[in-house]
Amino acid sequence: MTLASLIDKQDTFEIVRDQIAAILVLDVAKQQALAGLAGKDPTLWAFDVYLERFRPWEIESDPPVVNVWYDNSTFPEGRGNVVKEQLSETIYNIDMHAKASSTDDAGGTGYISGDELASINLHRVIRLVRNIIMAAENTYLQLRGIVENRWIQSAAAFQPQQTEAHLQNLIAARMALRVRFNEFSPQATPTTLDYLSIETLRTGDGKVILRADYDLTP
Amino acid sequence: MNIKAVAEQDLAITLEDSENGFGVAFSIKGPCGTIIPDIVGQTGDIHFLIDPDTGQAISGRVAHVSLRIASLAAGGLGLPEAVNNSSGKPWVFTVGVATFTVREARPDRTLGIVTVILEAYDAC
Repeated sequence: MTLASLIDKQDTFEIVRDQIAAILVLDVAKQQALAGLAGKDPTLWAFDVYLERFRPWEIESDPPVVNVWYDNSTFPEGRGNVVKEQLSETIYNIDMHAKASSTDDAGGTGYISGDELASINLHRVIRLVRNIIMAAENTYLQLRGIVENRWIQSAAAFQPQQTEAHLQNLIAARMALRVRFNEFSPQATPTTLDYLSIETLRTGDGKVILRADYDLTP
Repeated sequence: MNIKAVAEQDLAITLEDSENGFGVAFSIKGPCGTIIPDIVGQTGDIHFLIDPDTGQAISGRVAHVSLRIASLAAGGLGLPEAVNNSSGKPWVFTVGVATFTVREARPDRTLGIVTVILEAYDAC
């Protein structure tokens, strides 16, 4: 027996994945616009957003890079049913990369160390992403009725490997976002085999009998 | 002259020949402000893949210069080194139009060469 209908819809985890990236894209653009209106440097609110990238980065551009990708889902027993739906607890990783070069402090007697500046840039991106994702407007990732709950489980920075002394001061961090929602399964469309008319009767001695009318084709 | 001294003198050919060898002229500015405008050495700037401990590879870039220590001394400079204290100016290398500072200096005093691993530097 095979499924009768084409599976031609996104699963909820795909919808949520795209929504997380869309929220970041729209909000970071809005943040830059607000920064400009406030007379501040909009580049401090800028980062580029990517979705499901896993090939090596060529990070030559200035804005920090954010990559949203699906990590894993768990399906708790007892939250759902075997026929129609399962509760899914899905982890999406939001990876953030920032870089900086050591810079002369023009007119000063020292310089700004690139590794420290890269870390500060990274922390700024962590701040922006966390605030956007956990904002009240995004309680349900603007998918109320689909998303039951979203929660940032952790944020951790990766210490750059020191074995190779590369030109750029590049540092990365990962934020793990857990989202809870239902995943639904294709349902069988019942086939009508026949129509029956059934009358339920009770005899004088208390027995319950059924009387049915139907066509019988030998 | 012993062989070690001969080898050091040969650096003028192996390291500093910008006419027929791999030598490239560039400038060095020390933390005190002393500049050697046209020191010759060997330079390299290559890409490679690095893993920043995430399991994800990132395209990286390593740049270096190799200099004759005696030429630095002749120009009034000592051995380059990474300046960790940001209250002072770092060493600045200008190779072509790009500026770098010192990430790590690896002197080989046996032969009289110092290899400097470079880091991108914005000289403003």
